[in-house]
Amino acid sequence: MVSRLTRNLQHYGALSAEEQHAVESLVASTRMAVVGEDLGVEGDAPTHCRVLLDGQAFRHRTLADGRRQIMSFHIPGDLCDLQGLFLAMDHSITALTHCEVGLISHARLSDVMEAFPRIARGIWRTSLVEAAIVRAWMMGMGRRTAYARVAHLFCEMIERMRAAGMVHQNRCHFPITQQHLSDSLGLSAVHTNRTLQALRGEGLLSFQGGELAILDWPGLKTAGEFDDGYLHLTENRVLNLAGG
Amino acid sequence: MAQVLSSEHARLIRKLETIAVLSDKEKAALAELPLRLKSFLENTDLTQEGDTPTECCLIIDGLVCRYKVLGAGQRQIMSLHLPGDIPDLQSLHLGVMDHCLGSLTAGRAAYLPHAAVRDLTDRFPNITVAFWRDSLIDAAVAREWLCGVGRRTAHQRLAHLICEVYVRSRALHLIEERTFELSMTQAELGDALGLSTVHVNRVLQDLRRDKLVTWRGRSILVLDWERLQVLGDFDPGYLHLLDGAVS
Repeated sequence: MVSRLTRNLQHYGALSAEEQHAVESLVASTRMAVVGEDLGVEGDAPTHCRVLLDGQAFRHRTLADGRRQIMSFHIPGDLCDLQGLFLAMDHSITALTHCEVGLISHARLSDVMEAFPRIARGIWRTSLVEAAIVRAWMMGMGRRTAYARVAHLFCEMIERMRAAGMVHQNRCHFPITQQHLSDSLGLSAVHTNRTLQALRGEGLLSFQGGELAILDWPGLKTAGEFDDGYLHLTENRVLNLAGG
Repeated sequence: MAQVLSSEHARLIRKLETIAVLSDKEKAALAELPLRLKSFLENTDLTQEGDTPTECCLIIDGLVCRYKVLGAGQRQIMSLHLPGDIPDLQSLHLGVMDHCLGSLTAGRAAYLPHAAVRDLTDRFPNITVAFWRDSLIDAAVAREWLCGVGRRTAHQRLAHLICEVYVRSRALHLIEERTFELSMTQAELGDALGLSTVHVNRVLQDLRRDKLVTWRGRSILVLDWERLQVLGDFDPGYLHLLDGAVS
């Protein structure tokens, strides 16, 4: 599973055996988390970064009036709290499913990045993609209809999971509830429900029991006005092909 | 011989010093970055979506924003950038621009070749940390705006935006008093806040009537900083400015 992290970091060319070894050796210990358990809490000044080895998680913040905003979803290979390397946490991270989390001490990470500048650039790059994803969500809530927002989120998750090898026959496991969807997209529960029904009714997707199936990919992309440029996956894909 | 610090390099160093501690040696190295100055007009693109830049752009004067336009022509402004900011620092590591960088006012930018910035970051790990910190703060600002469009009322959003620009401008030593320029039209404010122009206009009038801020041309005078922060649910923590950066 750590090799997914290695893959994320290959933007500057395939890592050397020594560099790959350094990445694989970053995780000093692992822990399990159950559904709903907090992996990190707003205000923490962590001494470790967490890499998701198995399972899914999400980042969120609760505003003063008690309303929750979900800010991203995370899949295996993601570093969920890289921000903590340099800044205090301004949001919380919670397990969406049972998770296996790898702990990487900041001190060890700093040593590795100093010894291997390409690893540092690769990790920096992942934090830039993360910011691009947040901006895409902002754009959605600022300017897209509910219908396009929901379609866009499913397009994003399927593309990210596809890149991580988690999609089989256009199906993936993405066990969010309608409440998660509402809190991600700034919609009411009623509105979310109606929108999901519309997407289903048009035969674009099915979403049941945490299983997402894309039935009409071009149709779903059009519904969400989805352009995957902000995920910056292409560069990686080109490299993977080049590397066989 | 003591080096004379150009005003352009001084902008960059000031900005980095609001978020990181730099040694004299690091500042001297930053002051040697080659740069190419270029003026820009109001409402022009500095970089466009799909571009593959080989330089980063450091804002020297003026107000710049990140934005994206949907098929239907609706624009979302995704961040605001002030003198000293490098809004396309990401192009150092992400080859293709996924948004446009446009000016809201006329101004000047200094272009820094990627090769020179990479060389600098290779030689000075602490400068890498400063730039990286800047990109993490940039992400924190994006999350804050995300909470805004997702969960805050129109009044909270506008008050929050004014608070953010005010605190950042002060940290960058761009203003001293409670007056500052927010050179945005109501339509542009709407594009940043996910609101219609009519809605922005109504909220502006409310803020004025409640004596939180007042406008003179493009200048905003903050009349009641405490109440404005409360209204905007504004906590400057997400800007991660070093202690003392805002006096």
